[in-house]
Amino acid sequence: MDPTQYMKALAELWGQGGWSFMTAQQNLLREMAERFGRPGGEGAPTGETSFFDPQVLGQANEAFLRLWSSALELSRTFARNMQQGRDPDPLVSGLLARIFDPSAWFAGADGMDAVLTRLAQGPRLADMWNTERRMLNVLNAWTTLRRRSLEHNTVMLEAWLQAAGSFAKILNEKADRNEALGSWREVLALWVETANTLLLETQRSDAYLKSQRELLKASTDLRLAQQEVAEFYSEMFGYPTRAELDDVHKALTELRREVRALERALRDRPAGRSPRRSGAAKPVPSEGQLP
Amino acid sequence: MSERAASIKPERAISEAAALGEKLARGAELFAKLCDDEVRIATTPKDEVWRQDKVTLHHYRPLAPVTVSVPVLIVYGLIGRYTMADLQEDRSLVRNLLKLGIDLYVVDWGNPTRVDRWLTLDDYIDGYLDECVREICRRHKVGKISLLGICEGGVFTTCYAALYPEAVKNMVLTITPIDFHGDTAENRLGHGFINLWTRSLAPEDIDRLIEAHGTLPGEFMGSVFSLMTPMRTLMKYNLDMLEVMDDEKKFLNFLRMEKWIADRPHHPGEAAKQWLKDLYQDNKLVNNAFTISGRVVNLSNVTVPVLNVFAKDDHIIPPATSRALGAKVGTKDYTELPLPGGHIGVFVGGTSQALLGSGIAKWLAERQ
Repeated sequence: MDPTQYMKALAELWGQGGWSFMTAQQNLLREMAERFGRPGGEGAPTGETSFFDPQVLGQANEAFLRLWSSALELSRTFARNMQQGRDPDPLVSGLLARIFDPSAWFAGADGMDAVLTRLAQGPRLADMWNTERRMLNVLNAWTTLRRRSLEHNTVMLEAWLQAAGSFAKILNEKADRNEALGSWREVLALWVETANTLLLETQRSDAYLKSQRELLKASTDLRLAQQEVAEFYSEMFGYPTRAELDDVHKALTELRREVRALERALRDRPAGRSPRRSGAAKPVPSEGQLP
Repeated sequence: MSERAASIKPERAISEAAALGEKLARGAELFAKLCDDEVRIATTPKDEVWRQDKVTLHHYRPLAPVTVSVPVLIVYGLIGRYTMADLQEDRSLVRNLLKLGIDLYVVDWGNPTRVDRWLTLDDYIDGYLDECVREICRRHKVGKISLLGICEGGVFTTCYAALYPEAVKNMVLTITPIDFHGDTAENRLGHGFINLWTRSLAPEDIDRLIEAHGTLPGEFMGSVFSLMTPMRTLMKYNLDMLEVMDDEKKFLNFLRMEKWIADRPHHPGEAAKQWLKDLYQDNKLVNNAFTISGRVVNLSNVTVPVLNVFAKDDHIIPPATSRALGAKVGTKDYTELPLPGGHIGVFVGGTSQALLGSGIAKWLAERQ
């Protein structure tokens, strides 16, 4: 492709992609606001009678996927065009596709979202589905987590879009000045610099910090709801519960603390007042004996 | 838009693509050849001399005649591991200090799990750290030793020096936060994100996080650190790795750093609550309101000589958060050593790591 035509196509692509992205985002937000704004539809666990409507989450997911698929297509096309329409090298194509992949912006490559989700979901308890109201709480907490995740990812997608817009603007300004970019590496360096600044600014925004906090809270709530189920069944089948184990560990830590303090007190006694070598210490009870 | 003609030179694009293919092929070959054992960190020889619960104290074997008689204890924090100070042979604070005649110990906090949920900073500072200091004093028949704190470990040594000044000869701090709200002084983009992020949480968010997990999970903190350098994190495994993967030495350096990053222990839960709420949120240390074992940590009680090393471009511990100590300590023998680079660069960067070792050794030698 002629370089001029290439740049023209690229600039138009950014514009069209950005427009459809924004439209889709507005639709998503409206849809989410309507659904979660319904009475009883806030999404937060509300106790025994909490709702679970898989359609709500499914539709929010669909809307989100529509929203971000346009961004993904934009990035893929951009990565393809970086090779100037010649026979693409699959290695380079793969690399570029990854670099311009907006999904990487959802809290980083191995990001918080994935980590929180993994931490929260832990062991799957699907085989106990529909048996107790506790499971409903788990499901509601999971729904809330997905919702918070979508909200957070929307903040990140918005940032990606802004970065893409700034990037295109810089390219166009260079074009206006008839400046040539030496190589795709230079273009990548420009993208990294532009995107990094915008990402860092986004991270300091109230919207980002709020959605991050809500995501953290939702993952914690899910984990705790799951633990409640685990506690219930542990008790039912006579296994030690997490709370009991925590109690044991707490007692152990306190005992160790006391031993350390006692040892120190003994060591720090003034000379001549050291404990007697025998007789002072209590005998160690034999196995099975309690002191 | 049609008149615009910024372009990539096709001939360069083609040659770069070809070079990239060759680089990947060479890298793949090298990658297949390397095994995990070859990516070794913290290799400087040392001997375990004491242990309690999961904590172990190690004494490094000398690499040169000891010229500074007062032994030095390296104290890392509970976020990350001390191995950063001994990443590889040619980038090792430990080796640099040993070669300059320092008698060196290091405390390893081990791998805390949910079992250790109830351990507090009091346990670490007034318990384990105190035991380590006592053990070293006993071994050397001395009444005091020098402490070298790194990051959170610097907070430990600062508290210890304030509570037990009689047991400390000198204190060296590196990249240590003292004023946890000091990030607002400069408000540099990309700097102090952990400070900002922690303040955005409610105290009960932190309590519930610990209730749910029992610890501050290491992978969780890893994610927070990754967020601080977002594009660097995103590019690391494609562009950065690509740059070095056909060069065995550079590639091994990259992998050693990755190994250290991956080795991120969990932070005991109750201690994490103190770290995040008392220090990051409420900023108690610099305000002389932080307590350990019921005793207030008053920074004016730090009367021993202090060397405060900070990285001029530290995005995790912005310089102002470290430098706040100068106005608070009760000693006139307070020295700052600003070094180029960032939080980790101070220890592994070409220029800084050499300056760090020699700077610390010289300062200690002058205060025997």
